[in-house]
Amino acid sequence: MKQTHFCGSPDHRISRRGFLGAATGATALAADMTVLDVLSRPALAEDLKRQQKSVILLWLAGGASQFETWDPKPGWPTGGPFAKIPTNVPGTHISELLPEMSRRLHYTAIIRSLNTKIADHGGGYRLMDTGRRDEPGVEFPHLGAIIAQELAQPDSRIPDYVEMYTSTEGRRKGSAGFLSGRFNPMFLTESMIPENIRRLESISQIDHHDRAALRRLLANRFSRDLPSSAVGCHNAAYQRVRGLMASASLFDVEREPAAMRQHYGPTQFGEQCMIARRLVEAGVPFVKVARAWWDSHGQNFETHRELCADLDQVMSALLDDLEQRGMLENTLVISLAEFGRTPKINGSLGRDHFASAWSCTLSGCGIQGGALYGKTDEDGMTVVDGEMGAGDLFATIFTALDIDYEKEYMLGSRPIPIADFGAAPREAILA
Amino acid sequence: MQRPTVFRIIGSLVAFLLALPALGRGDSQENLSSAIDRLIEARQQAEAVSHTGPIDDYAFARRVTLDLAGRIPTLQELTGFVADTSVDKRRQLVDRLLASPDFAYHLRDSLDILLLARKKTDEPWRKYLLEAARENRSWDRIFREVMLPERELPGDKRPAAFLHARARDLDAMTNDASVLWFGVNIACAKCHDHPLVPDWEQSHYFALASFFQRTFPTRTGLVSEKFDGKLKFTTTEGEEHQAEFMFLSGTSVSEPETALDKDVLKEIGQKIRDAERKEDAPPPPQPEFSPRAELVRLALEPGEHDFFSHNMANRVWARLIGHGLVHPLDQMHSENPPSHPELLETLAQDFAQNGYDLKRLIRTIVLTRTYFRSSRWTDASEPADPELFARGMVRPLYPRQLAMSLRVATRNPNGMPGLSAPDQWMSAREKFEQDSTALAARLPIPSGLFQVGTEEALFFSNSQEFHEDFLDSGNEHLVGHLAELADPEQIVETAFLTVLSRPPSDTEKGAVALHLAQRADQREDALRQLVWALLASPEFRFNH
Repeated sequence: MKQTHFCGSPDHRISRRGFLGAATGATALAADMTVLDVLSRPALAEDLKRQQKSVILLWLAGGASQFETWDPKPGWPTGGPFAKIPTNVPGTHISELLPEMSRRLHYTAIIRSLNTKIADHGGGYRLMDTGRRDEPGVEFPHLGAIIAQELAQPDSRIPDYVEMYTSTEGRRKGSAGFLSGRFNPMFLTESMIPENIRRLESISQIDHHDRAALRRLLANRFSRDLPSSAVGCHNAAYQRVRGLMASASLFDVEREPAAMRQHYGPTQFGEQCMIARRLVEAGVPFVKVARAWWDSHGQNFETHRELCADLDQVMSALLDDLEQRGMLENTLVISLAEFGRTPKINGSLGRDHFASAWSCTLSGCGIQGGALYGKTDEDGMTVVDGEMGAGDLFATIFTALDIDYEKEYMLGSRPIPIADFGAAPREAILA
Repeated sequence: MQRPTVFRIIGSLVAFLLALPALGRGDSQENLSSAIDRLIEARQQAEAVSHTGPIDDYAFARRVTLDLAGRIPTLQELTGFVADTSVDKRRQLVDRLLASPDFAYHLRDSLDILLLARKKTDEPWRKYLLEAARENRSWDRIFREVMLPERELPGDKRPAAFLHARARDLDAMTNDASVLWFGVNIACAKCHDHPLVPDWEQSHYFALASFFQRTFPTRTGLVSEKFDGKLKFTTTEGEEHQAEFMFLSGTSVSEPETALDKDVLKEIGQKIRDAERKEDAPPPPQPEFSPRAELVRLALEPGEHDFFSHNMANRVWARLIGHGLVHPLDQMHSENPPSHPELLETLAQDFAQNGYDLKRLIRTIVLTRTYFRSSRWTDASEPADPELFARGMVRPLYPRQLAMSLRVATRNPNGMPGLSAPDQWMSAREKFEQDSTALAARLPIPSGLFQVGTEEALFFSNSQEFHEDFLDSGNEHLVGHLAELADPEQIVETAFLTVLSRPPSDTEKGAVALHLAQRADQREDALRQLVWALLASPEFRFNH
């Protein structure tokens, strides 16, 4: 039985000579990367931009309320105190808490008809991370790992999948599941720079370089006549080290002009989204920025007044920035959570977990800007039109990126489609 | 310093021939090892595939020490073994390792990864496994204790961890138990009959789940069973069925009628709820009829569907040889027959008939010729299919194998007698084991699609922790020891033998000598880079 290998090493079925040849090529590239700042070479950035589609996922950890964002119901008992406002898409209204976004809905499709059924944090985020329900004994890859697997360049010198979290709550590390460890995320929490990406001060640049050359010499001798793709992937991982180290500057917000930083705002979420744009510009296929903590069981309205202001500024700045750089057509911006919040307002003026009728947005790459998909009833209790599950959302996302949503990965002898069985994309959302 | 290859090959053959009558206990086992080789080689001949030659003493010492002790050999162990002139020294090494304290640690770590797979780090559970491994507790007894902790070891929560970690999730309990103990993955059959495997219908899934359905975790970390409850499921045609208690073999049991009256049941129900919720509740009452006990009984019934012994024989084989006789390991069913049916049958039967003795099973496999085939394929043809076992498979190290080997490789070899000073080694091993916990937790568990990620490469390359733990230049460490050696040739030789368990080739000697000579003014840094390059090489990362 053939196994499928996902390491993204230059030659998946490594033959003895094949591997050595490819390795030499990658080595030459990696050596150049020590001086390469992708952003300082506009031509290269242009190339990458054309080739590469990317995703920025704005993760509203804890579960944002659809009522206070994309599906307002003012005047109904469930509607809460905030008004709805018209947008630049005639007929579409959103919450008054998102005034900046109301002027930019031509970039964005709103989905108001998610019914994902699972309303506990653990189950909800696993569902929305993987696009399917848990199955015992199978570690499904998260969305970011699938996108990285599909879009990353085999010999890429930059990260494939980066995750950033608010430093306080809602931290969960994404997983490549049964895909290659290569597609596990680079995970940023405490620091704005990934772990172990910078050279230790105790070793000089030259020594760092030379010992890698010594390692390569040993590795090449060892790999000769050894039919093992796992060994090939080990070498591939080490060959990416210097490139990844060179990408450290991508994480440096100080390199952005003051005006741009002001546009995104002074919050951690703003800075992380600015980094996300820098990463995507350099060709990183998937960046997740999580903003916590939307879990407003008490004081839902105060919570959303504060968090929506941040979301509104940052998301609109991000869309503007991507558009101005000509990147929005190749970058899909998703805003999503593990679920929405209950129509019923509880005794603490909070809203609880609710997965039966909630909202998310897709903007940019492959998306019909201004589309409004699905409908909930007057109270927001149920979906009355265009119901979508997590699998359908994943199928739509894959299609927007020109990835075949029916593509299958083989897990041993078992085919596993990247969007769950029975899932289908929603054409009305797609450009 | 090596004897020519041909002599070494003859030497090892002679070793085996001489060894045959030598040990009373060993007789049947070595006959079995030879029988295995005959079956393997017969198929290679039938498919006109040649096999690779045997590995040399260095490679043998590394491979077998990693497999039996869970670490690379120390320099003293390695050189002692290579210099040993006795004809059956390989078998002696195998037996020395099987009797060593390391063997129990490594078996414990292997069983921990197999059964708990880091669902949590549970030190009491690991202590229980270590205790079992030290006395070579039989696999059926471990099975009974882990699957029926409340009846086999009442009040001991250590073996209960397997079920307790899964007890709130019936699917996880059912499928994990089925995969790990029986080699059968029937998760696909939960929602519909298995699409590819006629053996597994939807009713099988629920039949197996019904053995676990009454199991619940107590607040104090134990598990117990409720007195009633039947599992119902809806077929794809929409019909509702009640699941029966039926094992994978097709044998079912029926529950005896109970005559407990309502009040008694109500009282029991309250006690069970208390046990689920309260730290200080008394142990809950146990029902006369235990579905889980029935499952354990059926699984250990001899017969043609002996999933229990086939599964473990196959898993141990795969672990040591690098590819299952049934592969993937959780696909034991009629559509995926073993590559060598007779071999698996023989191994499984021997395992069952000799008291499910894990050590015996392991010893049988490592004494085959198949076990020490070279992994290098120098022939011009395509490498032989893994299921022909014509070449050694390259296997990634498990987290603790790697973490432990990093410790062993980077200490001053003079302070590492290893098994040549067993008493001293015992406490050193225990300490290394503890020191390895944090690192092991961040390393990936190998699976069928295993690839080393960039995270690991970055950790090796740039982390302070790695540099402090493994590249320290103090006297107790390898870098410090190398710095004390004057002769450049000895430095290279020592570094290679200690880290890679083999002497350097001439090319490597030249390259390293040059590296060191160019850095005469920063000798310590140069040595540190040398050791780093050895540790970060794939040769160190894999068992090969």
